[in-house]
Amino acid sequence: MRFFSELAKGIVKDNPIFVLVLGMCPTLAVSTSVKNGLGMGMAATFVLICSNIIISLIKGVTPPKIRIPVYIVVIAAFVTIIDMAMAAYAAELHKSLGLFIPLIVVNCIILGRAEAFASKNNALNSLADAVGMGAGFTLALVVVATIREILGNGTWLDIRVLPQAYDPMLIAILAPGAFITLGFLMALINIIKGRK
Amino acid sequence: MMYYAKLGFILLIFCAVAAGILAYVNGLTAPVISQRKELEETQTRQQLIPNSDFTLMSSADSSFSFYKAIDKSSGTTNGYAFISEGTGYSSRIKTMVGVDTLFQVLAIKIIDQAETPGLGAKCQDQAYFDMYAGLSETDLFVDKDGGKIKSITGATITTRAVTNSIREQIAILKKALIAGGDK
Repeated sequence: MRFFSELAKGIVKDNPIFVLVLGMCPTLAVSTSVKNGLGMGMAATFVLICSNIIISLIKGVTPPKIRIPVYIVVIAAFVTIIDMAMAAYAAELHKSLGLFIPLIVVNCIILGRAEAFASKNNALNSLADAVGMGAGFTLALVVVATIREILGNGTWLDIRVLPQAYDPMLIAILAPGAFITLGFLMALINIIKGRK
Repeated sequence: MMYYAKLGFILLIFCAVAAGILAYVNGLTAPVISQRKELEETQTRQQLIPNSDFTLMSSADSSFSFYKAIDKSSGTTNGYAFISEGTGYSSRIKTMVGVDTLFQVLAIKIIDQAETPGLGAKCQDQAYFDMYAGLSETDLFVDKDGGKIKSITGATITTRAVTNSIREQIAILKKALIAGGDK
């Protein structure tokens, strides 16, 4: 059952954000609201799945010397496709994520998985790896965004959870809030891991 | 030498395939995107100045284009609609504005922005739009600059960008109409 173990590892054991600490730039930037986090997570997961499968399939014909440029071409092509598809069919989400979609190209998680996993494993396991890593990335984004959105805006997925009288802690939504939230979450995860 | 030429050639093939796929997807999505944008703008214009037909006009040197709103039933001019653009905190903010024939703001709507969520992004709220209704050029300043627009908490830059861009655009519109002799 290799398939499932590859899938599961990305969610908890090798979580790209909390454990591997990859892809910090989009994490810090888009976790201001749960909606943005979910959108970014799903867009990156889509690109990750497509690029992992393709890179795994072409590993036989890719000369090792130029593998990195080839990976970048594959990833950039998928990012551009999702950018255009979102602008056409999910305009609202595209507006709020706007700037971050092209940045998926340089998201280290995607290039990292291409180099560390997809280039050495078959397509099926690469798919499992991509789904797991994508889910782990999305989960991490949602967790960080949940804390920031509730503290900084009093809402969760645009639904009001704290009373109107609550004075939003604006710092949670600004850039420093991202670092503080992420720092506390990583500390918490290290404590839990240390106990085992 | 041959080896490197071969590497370059392989990379070229990868790029060519990727470019071909992208060209195909672009062909599919480009018309949908432009159609959607146009539809959005038409709908917004109708929200800002209801019950009107819009004709596209432009200033004498065609550097500025706007829409003249003509009432569907009476045929009189209801006002003008145009897009103003200003630089906010983290993005260019595009605002669609409707003014009446006395150049008082009827309604506005932000159509494009990427300001900080929770702060500047609040410029998309209806409550924010309502603040502009009925104001004329002289009132269109942020309260800190002596005007009637109350700035969004923590986002004065955003508020100022929107307000100033609208005011400047109204001035341009006035000039364009006087020069064109059509008022």
